[in-house]
Amino acid sequence: MRTKLFQYEGITSFLSSLSAIAAGLLVGLIILLVSNSQDAFPAFVMILKGGFEDGSRGLAQVIYFAIPIIMTGLSVGFAFKTGLFNIGASGQFKMGAFVAIYIGIKWSFVPEEIHWLVALLGAMVAGAVWGSVPGILNAFFNVNVVITSIMMNYIGMYLVNMAIVKTVYDSLKNQTKPVLKSAVLPKAGMDKLFNTSNVSIGIFIVIIAVIAIYIILHKTTFGYELKACGSNREASRYAGINEKKSIILSMVIAGALSGLGGGLLYLSGSGKYIHVLDELAPEGFSGISVALLGMSHPIGIFLAGLFIAHLEVGGFNIQLYNFVPEIIDMIISVIIYCGAFALLFKQIISRFVTKPVIDTDTSGIEPAMISQANDTSDMGGAEDKRGHGEDKI
Amino acid sequence: MEYVVEMNNITKIFGNFKALDDVTFKVRKGEVHALLGENGAGKSTLMSILFGLYQAEKGSIRINEKPVKINNPNDASSLKIGMVHQHFKLVHNFTVLESIILGRETVKMGVIKKDEARKKVIELSERYKLRIDPDAYISDITVGMQQRVEILKMLYSDSEILIFDEPTAVLTPQEIEELMKIMKELVKEGKSIIFISHKLNEIKAVADRCTVLRKGKYIGTVDVETTSKEQMSEMMVGRKISFNIEKKDIKTGEAVLEVENLTIKAKNSKKNMVNNVSFAVKGGEILCIAGIDGNGQSELVYGITGLMPIQEGRVLIKGKDITRESVRKKSLDGMSHIPEDRHKHGLVLDFNLQQNAVLQTYFEPRFQNKGFIKFNAVAEYARKLIKQYDIRSPRDEDSIVRNMSGGNQQKLIVARELDRDPDIVIAVQPTRGLDIGATEYIHKQLVAQRDQGKAVLLVSLELDEVMDISDRILVIYEGEIVGDLNPKEITVEELGLYMAGSKRSGGYEN
Amino acid sequence: MKLWRRLAVVVLVFLMIFAFSACAKNEPAPQEEPETPETPEEPETPEEPAANVFELALITDVGTIDDKSFNQGAWEGVEAYAKENNITYKYYQPAEQSDTAYLDSIALAVKAGAKVIVCPGFLFEVPIHTAQTMYPDVKFVILDGAPHAGDYNIEIADNTYSIFYAEEEAGFLAGYSIVKEGYTKLGFMGGMAVPAVVRFGYGFVQGAEYAAHEIGLTDPVQVKYTYVGNFNATPENQAKASSWYNEGTEVIFACGGAVGNSVMKAAEAAGTKVIGVDVDQSAESETVITSSMKNLSKSVYDALAAYYAGNFPGGTSVSLDATVEGVQLPMENSRFENFTQADYDAIYAKIVAKEIEIMNDSDVVEDAGKPAEEVTAADIPVSKVEVEVIN
Repeated sequence: MRTKLFQYEGITSFLSSLSAIAAGLLVGLIILLVSNSQDAFPAFVMILKGGFEDGSRGLAQVIYFAIPIIMTGLSVGFAFKTGLFNIGASGQFKMGAFVAIYIGIKWSFVPEEIHWLVALLGAMVAGAVWGSVPGILNAFFNVNVVITSIMMNYIGMYLVNMAIVKTVYDSLKNQTKPVLKSAVLPKAGMDKLFNTSNVSIGIFIVIIAVIAIYIILHKTTFGYELKACGSNREASRYAGINEKKSIILSMVIAGALSGLGGGLLYLSGSGKYIHVLDELAPEGFSGISVALLGMSHPIGIFLAGLFIAHLEVGGFNIQLYNFVPEIIDMIISVIIYCGAFALLFKQIISRFVTKPVIDTDTSGIEPAMISQANDTSDMGGAEDKRGHGEDKI
Repeated sequence: MEYVVEMNNITKIFGNFKALDDVTFKVRKGEVHALLGENGAGKSTLMSILFGLYQAEKGSIRINEKPVKINNPNDASSLKIGMVHQHFKLVHNFTVLESIILGRETVKMGVIKKDEARKKVIELSERYKLRIDPDAYISDITVGMQQRVEILKMLYSDSEILIFDEPTAVLTPQEIEELMKIMKELVKEGKSIIFISHKLNEIKAVADRCTVLRKGKYIGTVDVETTSKEQMSEMMVGRKISFNIEKKDIKTGEAVLEVENLTIKAKNSKKNMVNNVSFAVKGGEILCIAGIDGNGQSELVYGITGLMPIQEGRVLIKGKDITRESVRKKSLDGMSHIPEDRHKHGLVLDFNLQQNAVLQTYFEPRFQNKGFIKFNAVAEYARKLIKQYDIRSPRDEDSIVRNMSGGNQQKLIVARELDRDPDIVIAVQPTRGLDIGATEYIHKQLVAQRDQGKAVLLVSLELDEVMDISDRILVIYEGEIVGDLNPKEITVEELGLYMAGSKRSGGYEN
Repeated sequence: MKLWRRLAVVVLVFLMIFAFSACAKNEPAPQEEPETPETPEEPETPEEPAANVFELALITDVGTIDDKSFNQGAWEGVEAYAKENNITYKYYQPAEQSDTAYLDSIALAVKAGAKVIVCPGFLFEVPIHTAQTMYPDVKFVILDGAPHAGDYNIEIADNTYSIFYAEEEAGFLAGYSIVKEGYTKLGFMGGMAVPAVVRFGYGFVQGAEYAAHEIGLTDPVQVKYTYVGNFNATPENQAKASSWYNEGTEVIFACGGAVGNSVMKAAEAAGTKVIGVDVDQSAESETVITSSMKNLSKSVYDALAAYYAGNFPGGTSVSLDATVEGVQLPMENSRFENFTQADYDAIYAKIVAKEIEIMNDSDVVEDAGKPAEEVTAADIPVSKVEVEVIN
């Protein structure tokens, strides 16, 4: 009866995310029915069709919306694997976006062919620097990453606002100036293919980032160290892993991912500018949702980002049916909310996916049974001596 | 015969797992009734049902000859059932008196009537010879005293049936003896006691009768007086257990680990947790550091292994100074460490078995190539350990360690640490929380290391363990070594006196 | 097992929904042409028919349709004309604030069969530049802006009508009326220093000046003048307004979208007055004494009427001023005690007759003879008004 389902963790995670999505959509349908029962079903179908509604153009929209939130999602998810809650993706994103725009406007001395690449690298460095500060403070002074990264969000926002006004300000529109043509991400013919201007090679860069993060986390000793640190910092110390280095590097990489996301969005040539407003970049917080829904797994985050973007496009399209697009925000929120229950779903699912292994050995060993019994009693709250009390071999 | 507690034919099912299968448990008035069994045997589940935390699927409960339904702990309280948990539920910055009356305050016009409560507490304390100071703060009193506070709490609420859940796990020999006296005092006054334990010596010493559970099944109830320890352990485990570990004659070699004048300060105070400690462990010997918990043995080990900074002194392995080396370097120099807290230090619980198996060795060329993990090699290695050390788990090398039983988790750590072929094994309470079978296994492994000529430094709080397997005993008291003893020449009682700080041996006298 | 069953149901429902949508996706949609023959046939428009057809469309700018400002003002014009003439109409909200998102909204409107698309705000300049060539058969009305490709080289195609307003005249009316009413301690709180807001502010100062001369005030009128840097209702904005009121300011001209809400709250607490902007804001708060209005709804209404009359003024850009009732004060809803309808009519007539020279932003720059970036409200040539520019 020993199933060697190596992917079993992944399957339960996936199922639980699906359940969260189903619950969110169900609530969405109810909202639609309540607000306008006549058009509810066609509108609901339109939401589900999302980016498929409008042919290639719709797909391009999905990709466009997905790129920044996948990147911030990767950032949050990656840090989370290392046991850090990077709530500072917003600030790192904004720093990255600003530096990308700055380089895109001011560094005309860079050869045109690589201007965009230099701008993206600059964005990554800016994000990395911004991410490293909470990492360093945490590693050396044990300051909570959540607090420092929230502060860094605000510092970043105000700093960027100030820097924009001083350097690349379009005072007529209170926003950044447009970047030079050479700094806009190459389209590689995709604008013709998708028949819209907001697609570029950005999505390939995102895919490369997803694969790179997947490999780092799952295939390398470096990822092993990071995960060990994230899962149990004390044990990593015990094992001789340099946990300070791991924490800082993890935040640096997370920051670079967010920064890259900012660069990708604002260099995409979609006519989006940073407005000089006292507003944190919302993409950073969407990243938390995406990471949650994607169970912090790079592939999961990629799919979750595409899915959220898909819904957003669907939500935009339901305006054809006399619905306000805010409904989609509600649906996404419910999905995220249910995503928070994903752990609960996961527990329920794993209970049914795995059957207890019962060894009727002479020495009487029943580890699975015991662990199940322990789990059950833990949920009941009675068993308070787990791990300390008498355990059975 | 009058029974205060009768639990008849209790069956409790979790999912598709029968935690209790037709268990009958009867306690007479005025007796100490031991409940014996290994973990997972169902002791805790049975007591949780009695205490109202679970409801049984089948079976009935009678208290004082009357059938009752116990739906929650409040019902249990009103039936005068009280419980001393293994881990005390006390608030540290409360006084003893406040802790006792917490939740049962008598109030007059919004003001707690402390004087009345104090009177009652003092009266109870004297009657049962508990000798506690009602105005001391919980954080200032010893663990043994804290336990008495818990006992007083039960008495304060007039409990008649007292459940003690593994009460001796945290106590010194002297404190255990005191507790036994108190328990006897209590039954003399007409209380009935249920004593959950797996320590046969204690059951022998204090209990009148003993009910044995195994794998959720009722095995039998015996008179403690007429039943031998061996018989009881066979009932509990289901097979014969050898209590004596066979050791070859000692052939000590060169000093492997040397500690010179080690001084370690506490984390947040200026107090020296370890004060000028020197000793050497030779190849082929098991050196045991005995002492009551909190006397600096944890810090000593953390200092040696590099988890805590050292203020003064040196640590050498085979003559090489490793004092300032990183944890990794120490491990590469031949130091293995079976940590005190396997969940905190020893394992990454959310990793699977194979990932944990290479926690200190993942970077070695046999497990990685240019930074990429060789998964096959890791799995292969894990399978080797599983086979060699008989580690049992639901899904072998892919099991998430969190889902493994404590004994097998510990076996995994022992396997990992010993398989690295270390020169010195530092084992801190390696059998803590394990049952007899697992304890026996781990002792055998440590002795095997010694027999191969390796050095073993064992830190233990369990006197039986100290006496059974060590070749030499150092007693640590308040951060200093106060005794260098030969286990063959001293008694447990004598050792207890050293541990309590009331005796120092020659050469360690200040 | 109960839980298992429940879970299975959830998963099943989810799968069904997905299958349902997949079916819907794969079914070839019935090829049905929208009923109106004039509907432009765009190669870009997917052949799938929209659920409903909406002939008149409005794309919202930043903010919602009920922003009590630009979106709403323009929307009222669309609504009024559509209802009168029984034409279908609808508004669309872009998914985010970017050129492509605005363009996507235009595409959505076109897909729903829009013939005229009203775009309130200068942020539509670039998207419309693209859209006017992409959808040559759709008419675009852009308020407060003119299409260009991001380089400010205005290119107005034949299907686009660009409308500007003489904000300085609206501001002038507000400044004049409020001083005539008897207030001498004024404040101007602009959103950001964008041209429209700047014109309002400069006009406001000049109106106060004109009234001060007319009634022969001996002490100068004091005007505190600032741009808060955003168009939002924020506690900071409210605090700033409160402090002005505390320092003695009697009326603040709140000229920046939702900034007005902050100012109104402050005024409610201080028992002082506010001048609204863009649309008639008298219903929002008792403190709104009058509003410096652009006649958004009328201009949109007129543009739509022109389209249906067959003389859509495509390819042109106009600045609507008092001569065509492009700006006004909503006298019927104003809370004046001294300033009468007759006063209003008199000054309005003078403005229409160009008897008064009201300088707009570029006039002031020219007059000051300084680089445009350095020109502030303090550079307006006035003698009876003291302008205190606060940065």
